[in-house]
Amino acid sequence: MCDLQLKLVAWLDHELPPDQAAELETHLRACVACQTERDKYEHVSTTFHAYCNAVLTARTHRSVPRWVTPVSGALLAITATVLLMTFQQPPIEPPRPVPTPAATRPAAAPIKAVASESAVPKTIHPRRALPPLPAPATKWQPAETAVQISIPAETIFAPGAIPEGMNFIAELSIGPDGSVEGLRLRP
Amino acid sequence: MSDDSLPLALPFLRFAAASSEVTALYRELQKPLLRYLVCLGLSSDEAQDVVQDSFVSLQHHLAAGGTQDNIRGWLFRVAHNQARNRQTSYHRRFGEPLASQMDFVASGATPENAVLEKEKFRRLRAAIGLLAESERECLLLRAEGLRYREIGDVLGLATSTVADTVERAIKKLAEKCNV
Repeated sequence: MCDLQLKLVAWLDHELPPDQAAELETHLRACVACQTERDKYEHVSTTFHAYCNAVLTARTHRSVPRWVTPVSGALLAITATVLLMTFQQPPIEPPRPVPTPAATRPAAAPIKAVASESAVPKTIHPRRALPPLPAPATKWQPAETAVQISIPAETIFAPGAIPEGMNFIAELSIGPDGSVEGLRLRP
Repeated sequence: MSDDSLPLALPFLRFAAASSEVTALYRELQKPLLRYLVCLGLSSDEAQDVVQDSFVSLQHHLAAGGTQDNIRGWLFRVAHNQARNRQTSYHRRFGEPLASQMDFVASGATPENAVLEKEKFRRLRAAIGLLAESERECLLLRAEGLRYREIGDVLGLATSTVADTVERAIKKLAEKCNV
């Protein structure tokens, strides 16, 4: 290996003093091994530079603008909260359990008594009819927008956080229990 | 303008001159700084914050009459130090340089070229991961066009040390990744 190979990288970077650079250039014209090394170092440097550009592109490449995610999340949360508060229904109480004959029968009856009663003809009481349950709440779906709430973006976000004139409309489907069954955002 | 008002106006004039100078420098150096910081391991948002802070510091520096010698090296040094300060654990963040799990946007003209380029970058990334921290930083600053003296200023190294480090790093990459 030539001693001048140690200076090849510095020569490529124009960091050698003029006299040493001239000496190296003279040597390079004649030395094939140094030419090969020079080409290799040049190629590595070029690839490294391209790699840095690729890293920058990959890191800064965004398909969605930065402000879309937080703004969408905030709007979604606000809309859901407002609509839940608006359409909240009182909780539906479960029907009271109706006592059945089996439940009223004493659990630990003496065996003798059962044996003696078995001779007596049983009188079968007709099952008491259960009280009718309240009719279930039907799914309420308004034909058109029931409530429309406008919240200016300036009152929620810092000035300039949202481009001027940008609005979102959130359409929510509310279930019988007041929960949100579906949500669709459209600009 | 009276004689008394001139000394009062001087800071404002100096500030205005510094502002126009900083604006011109921002256009020139914003991308190299951003690339350096992102390649160091900062996220895009963090890197942009550091670049902004660095230029604000530069404006204060110039407005206060600070030295204008080697402004590029000064900016890279400030950005480098700010990037370090932002890391809760420098080695945790910087120990995995150049985004190990990154999906590159290949610029190859054909699908074959794109695949070859990605493969080349993958091998180079593996080789970079084997370099010492100072070697990586020297190469990154060299890729941004900084001279050895400027790299030494940024990293606090002697110029001869930078020359040795760069040469060693380039030879390691040439041996290991065979790009």
